Amino acid sequence: MRLKLISCEIVFREMCHLLAEAEHRVDVEFLPKGLHDIGASSMRKRLQQAIDGVEAPEYDAILLGYGLCGMGLAGLVTRHIPLVVPRAHDCITLFLGSKQRYADYFADHSGVYFRTTGWLERAENMNQLQQFSIQSKSGMGMSYPELVEKYGQENADYLWEQIGDFVRNYRQLTFIEMGVEQNGRFEQQARAEAGERDWKFEKLRGDLGLLRRLVNAQWDPEDFLVVKPGEKIVVRYDDSIIAAEPAS
Amino acid sequence: MADLQQLYEAVLNGDAKSAVAVTKEALAGNVDPMTLVTKFMVPAMDEVGRRFECEEYFVPELLLAARAMKGSLELIRPLLTASGAEPTGRVVIGTVKGDLHDIGKNLVGSLLEGGGFEVTDLGADVSPERFVEAIRAHNADFICLSALLTVTMPAMKNVIETLKSSGVRDQVKVLVGGAPVTREYAAQIGADGYAENASAAVHLARSLLQPAA
Ligand code: B12
Repeated sequence: MRLKLISCEIVFREMCHLLAEAEHRVDVEFLPKGLHDIGASSMRKRLQQAIDGVEAPEYDAILLGYGLCGMGLAGLVTRHIPLVVPRAHDCITLFLGSKQRYADYFADHSGVYFRTTGWLERAENMNQLQQFSIQSKSGMGMSYPELVEKYGQENADYLWEQIGDFVRNYRQLTFIEMGVEQNGRFEQQARAEAGERDWKFEKLRGDLGLLRRLVNAQWDPEDFLVVKPGEKIVVRYDDSIIAAEPAS
Repeated sequence: MADLQQLYEAVLNGDAKSAVAVTKEALAGNVDPMTLVTKFMVPAMDEVGRRFECEEYFVPELLLAARAMKGSLELIRPLLTASGAEPTGRVVIGTVKGDLHDIGKNLVGSLLEGGGFEVTDLGADVSPERFVEAIRAHNADFICLSALLTVTMPAMKNVIETLKSSGVRDQVKVLVGGAPVTREYAAQIGADGYAENASAAVHLARSLLQPAA
């Protein structure tokens, strides 16, 4: 089989590791993590462009290395070859290896911010797509000096109190170790971040199983949706998360 | 005599100092407090909402306008209460359990407050039980639920179920919103309304206040 993977770079290390030992020939295109921040309709547009750009005759299927990402995948259409999508709300499922495990962990742990290699080295302070992000378009991502410059000192102090700290509601940082880290530096970085904020730190063992089955074409219907040519992705508000329907 | 148009301008421009100063002056000159609210402040906040909706205003402008509005409301509210005037409606708002995204919810709360509603904000990660308690404690007319994760959208349904089992469902209108929420989902879980942004949320709440003729 020849497969084309279109993946978020948040799983860059995981995918590279799995592709090196994949059973099939998998070509990959990574898209910027910045799609996370541009809102569902812009995210969908860029993903659709990537899907439409695949030289269909070359491949047997297109794989998406994404979760639903807040409706970012809803409405995507495949025209010529099947599109395979993990049933996942977001990448945290991809890291934990099953939507059930994510649901269970989520239910008993509130106030958690997740970190992985990708979330540590590809999520912040990157300029990609920045001018399109919700944070910069809405003005909520402005720095303190920018606020002072635009609104004056007194207003800036008030605004900084309101929007300066995105993570004020959090209590815990959970580092998911995927087994693709060469050494302890990612864990140390995550621990340091938790320490700085006085959050509880927890390390979880990740599970590459779901992503491995994605790239190895083991697409059981419980965990994967196969969208046939001429169909689109729709949302289901139950455990199946997504489904396929005729595109028009 | 205070130039009341200045109050409108002060709220619109997010100038808390002037808003408070003009309000003080007006009240000292015996201007009817209700007139200040309905003729100047609410229209100013409506304009703020409109500008936000068409992306002329952004989050900071909206927050500053809401602060200006609040500053002058603090002076006016005791007078309104003393004269027995009721707020437009009482709102309890929060982000549902498990979800910590609160920026959109805060904006909706601020604009509702600016629109003359009395708003109790329960914060983020709010359990169904806390919503019920707050509805009882504040005699709320509306409950506004926000969710930004598809993972936590079902928690909105749980809230509605808990409202039913606690016998308070008929007392309140349930409004839902947040980026992944849709009108279709709102209908499916039996909410009373959905709005896609903060300014639309104010219009929605107002329209639900008018009893169907
Ligand atoms: C900023 C942001 C964050 C900030 C939140 C800061 C804060 N204090 O709120 C931070 C960085 C902390 C964060 C954390 C996480 N996030 Co986040 N985040 C976002 C982002 C980029 C923007 C959200 C936002 O603030 N928008 C701006 C506001 C103004 O818009 P809004 O909230 O939609 O509100 C407007 C309307 O919806 C409406 N509205 C809102 N509420 C209500 C209520 C009512 C009643 C009404 C009528 C209307 C209404 O009016 C508002 C104003 O007009 C979204 C992307 C997206 N597509 O939305 C991801 C997003 C929501 N996050 C996501 C994820 C995955 C996470 C994390 C899990 C990441 C992690 N590594 O742990 C955690 C979640 C933790 C948790 N348990 O909640 C995913 C969710 C996927 C999913 N499962 O659904 C998204 C969709 C990104 C993506 N494309 O994948 N996030």
